[in-house]
Amino acid sequence: MSPVASELPAFLDAAVLGGLLLASAVTLLAGYRVINGPTVPDRVVGLDTIGTNVVAIAALFAIQTGRGLFVTVSLVLAIIGFISTIAVARFVREGDIIE
Amino acid sequence: MSGGSLDREPTVIARTVTRLVVPVILVTAVALLLQGHNLPGGGFIAGVLTTTAFALIYIIYGLDYLETELLHRRPTVPFGTGTGIVREYGNVFAAGLAVAGGGGLAAVALGFPFLTQGVAFFEGVPVYHEFEIASAVVFDLGVYAVVVGALLTILAVVGAE
Repeated sequence: MSPVASELPAFLDAAVLGGLLLASAVTLLAGYRVINGPTVPDRVVGLDTIGTNVVAIAALFAIQTGRGLFVTVSLVLAIIGFISTIAVARFVREGDIIE
Repeated sequence: MSGGSLDREPTVIARTVTRLVVPVILVTAVALLLQGHNLPGGGFIAGVLTTTAFALIYIIYGLDYLETELLHRRPTVPFGTGTGIVREYGNVFAAGLAVAGGGGLAAVALGFPFLTQGVAFFEGVPVYHEFEIASAVVFDLGVYAVVVGALLTILAVVGAE
């Protein structure tokens, strides 16, 4: 295997750039829902979407720049986002996180 | 909160996913701890990740699960300070502080300034071929234990309220 991302094919480069732009736009739209959401679950789902999008942005940025440390960033962010989603779901449903 | 105990029981899916995910989180934390000298990572973020794994156990299995399953004793009432598993967390905190400080004082004992770090390379190790031991791993282990002990104390005390 050749070393990753020393020079990306033109198609892959364009696809990664498009994915970055798309994920950023979706993050902005989810931010609107977080600020303006009528109910608490709306805001929670919006925040979860933002977290998932930041994970995607970090992974795409790792592909674009060839720096592996952003894969670690996305891994840790995904773990923390998963746990926060569970905690908030439990809070909304039970009113208490740890019993 | 009042209510039937059946309502508050987490689903089988949540319990099973927790059993699968917690080891993955712990392995990630150890990997971050060991790569901390050369790459992003280190004691603090590894401790935070370990604490999130324990937080997941607390959320899904309840506050008494760790004490009954890990220490095999009846859980004491965790109100106040110094009771229950909080004392073990305090011991972890103190041990980490001692390891980190002792690692710094070891450099003083060898005639270097406080917290001087060094690195050694070993050639011809059977599996790794070239193996690297940095003395900073001792300080990182201390920071890891301090962060785990402090955050788990906060989690246990605040979660019990």
